[in-house]
Amino acid sequence: MITKEATVAAPAPLPAAPEPPRPARKRRRAWDEAPRWQIYLPLGIYLVFTLIPFYWILLFALRPAGSTSLVPWPMTTVHFEKVWTDRGFGTFFYNSVLVGVVTLLMTTLVALAGGYALARFDFKVKRAFMLALLCSQFVPGALLLVPLFEIFAGLQLINSLVSVIIAETVFQLPLSMILISNFIKNVPYSLEEAAWVDGCNRFRAFRVVVLPLLRPGLIAVGSFAFVHSWNHFLFALMFLNNQEKQTIPVGLNTLMSADSVDLGALAAGGIIAAVPVVIVFAFIQKWLITGFSAGAVKG
Amino acid sequence: MKISILGNSTGRGRRTSAAVALGAALALTATACGDDGGGAGGGGAEGSGKGKIVFWDNNGGVRTDIWKQIIADFEKANPDIDVQYVGIASTEYQSKVDTAIQADGLPDVGGISASMLAGFAAQGALDPLDDRLEKSPLNGKLNKDMIESLRAAGGGDDKLYSVPTSANNGVLYYRTDLFRKAGLEEPTTWDRFFEAAEKLTDKGGNKFGYTIRGGAGSIAQALDAMYGQSGITSFWDSTGKKTTVNDPKNVAALEKYAALFKKVTPAADLNNDFTKMVAQWDSGEIGMLNHNLGSYQDHVKALGADKFRGIPQPVGPDGKRVQVSNPVDGVGLFKSSKNKEAAWKFIEFATSAQSSSKFNESAGQVPAHLDAAKSDWIAKAEPTKLAAEALTDGSTTIVQLPYYLPDWNTLSKAESEPNFQKVLLGDMSAKDFLDGLAEKLNEAQAEWDEQMG
Repeated sequence: MITKEATVAAPAPLPAAPEPPRPARKRRRAWDEAPRWQIYLPLGIYLVFTLIPFYWILLFALRPAGSTSLVPWPMTTVHFEKVWTDRGFGTFFYNSVLVGVVTLLMTTLVALAGGYALARFDFKVKRAFMLALLCSQFVPGALLLVPLFEIFAGLQLINSLVSVIIAETVFQLPLSMILISNFIKNVPYSLEEAAWVDGCNRFRAFRVVVLPLLRPGLIAVGSFAFVHSWNHFLFALMFLNNQEKQTIPVGLNTLMSADSVDLGALAAGGIIAAVPVVIVFAFIQKWLITGFSAGAVKG
Repeated sequence: MKISILGNSTGRGRRTSAAVALGAALALTATACGDDGGGAGGGGAEGSGKGKIVFWDNNGGVRTDIWKQIIADFEKANPDIDVQYVGIASTEYQSKVDTAIQADGLPDVGGISASMLAGFAAQGALDPLDDRLEKSPLNGKLNKDMIESLRAAGGGDDKLYSVPTSANNGVLYYRTDLFRKAGLEEPTTWDRFFEAAEKLTDKGGNKFGYTIRGGAGSIAQALDAMYGQSGITSFWDSTGKKTTVNDPKNVAALEKYAALFKKVTPAADLNNDFTKMVAQWDSGEIGMLNHNLGSYQDHVKALGADKFRGIPQPVGPDGKRVQVSNPVDGVGLFKSSKNKEAAWKFIEFATSAQSSSKFNESAGQVPAHLDAAKSDWIAKAEPTKLAAEALTDGSTTIVQLPYYLPDWNTLSKAESEPNFQKVLLGDMSAKDFLDGLAEKLNEAQAEWDEQMG
């Protein structure tokens, strides 16, 4: 038996619906089709402007005094030897590393503890405390020099690197604490609760569950603390009165006297000062960007 | 439910925590072994004449080596005294001493130049040295003009707070090779100076006749050019209450000087401090540079001694040379020192003929000690020799800048340098700039007169 349906001519197929636009692909195609020079020329110009000052520093550091050559040839390391040995940059470098590393450790440790409290506990003056942390960022270090000097003098810490480390740590803690607390807020509380169910106490749950997830944040905060203390000049200048205890920024400053400057030595000193920071950034830039953006999203 | 990361990371985490804690503890221990470094607190004392004293150099850096030599000589001659040297960059010295005054952390001895003396003396930080100098072998052996300059720059009480080590002087450096090539005469007069500046300029070839100081430190140099051209010989008029900076002759001189900017100088000179100015003169093709004796060695290193000369400022149309004073440098004794006897021994040694000669040969400056001023090296360092002659042979009139005014540094730097840049850019007239400066100076002088009774 032929059914009614069978006798009816099959309907003509519907015209195919137009495909929805694919903006992403189109954009990519347009990007791909752009002449290369439109991309690389602006980037190249920008790069030249960025790198010329660095090249200039390298040039002064590596060419002999008095040379006006635009390439560092014949090359000399005499300026590096001079600043490293005669001007005491070897000692300054060691002091700066010590200040930077200890500040990094102390800032990270205290910011972790404080950030955890801010993220996981509610207390009466929490909002006011957060506001105070933010406001502390507006107080310039120079304003507190005299009271800090008196406090450190009372503690017999003037002319000790400890005074610089404490001052650097204290000044970097507010921002670090806020950043860390935002990272911790991004870690689901249920993970910690699961760890408690499995028998962990709060500290162990934090250490084995939360801490590994904070790696980008810790790297961001730690590197920020290191770089800031590495470059900071004021506290080292004011609290240290012994050549053997001065840091790189203070040493660099003394390469310029009131009316005479050794440009080769200054350039070599500048490179010695910049290299650790460049290395730190080269290794951690991925974590740094992730860390700062993640920490900044949630307030 | 088991959380998988628990077992894996516990051991490593514990080790990491322990390492972090141990590292922090060790680092803190390692850095904790400091001493207070400063000499002082309270009212100070004569002390035993032995032990440790702390010396802050007000121009640390290039001078560090020579100070260390002088200190080594001193310690050899005085084995009971140990001098701790602290080199501080000149740009930071005032703020460091000011902080130390407030926080009672001053050293025993410090470099004290005339430009900073008024502020430190006004805060009561320095010990008067007249009595000590009178009983010292240095008495009568130091340049009287330099002593008077430091005495005048003090607290207005006619006391000496700093023993002079050296004097600086403005120098016109010019490239002898470029002058010879262009057939120009030595720029010994202001007319020749302006003529050479124009003839040596070839902007397309990146060659300029002059480099002007438009950034930090520009005012002293502009004043030197103004008074040098106008021939006015005093900073104050006959009443002593009104400054001569805005005298019409000075206004005209500044207009002429500022008009050099971009016409015969690089445009980047607007932000020139001495570092940039000296660097571009040493590495480019610029005909002339105004600076002081301090950069002579830098030019020798960069150009060689035969490519340039450093001569005193040009003379005016009447054949007379007028220059503004450069701050005399010296060493002072801080009131809070607890070992003043040893500190004074060091000051005496540092300003003795032997040390003064050594120090000034290195710094290229004019020694304060009269015997050191006769040293052989001075004849070989031409700019120093010419400057010493200019300062002593009566050919030059020095306009004494009012270093004694506690506001002088602020007025001549932070408050005036941005306006001078406006003058260079043509956004402010030379007259408006000098009238404004004169008004503030007259007020500061009136306030000073009132305080001094």
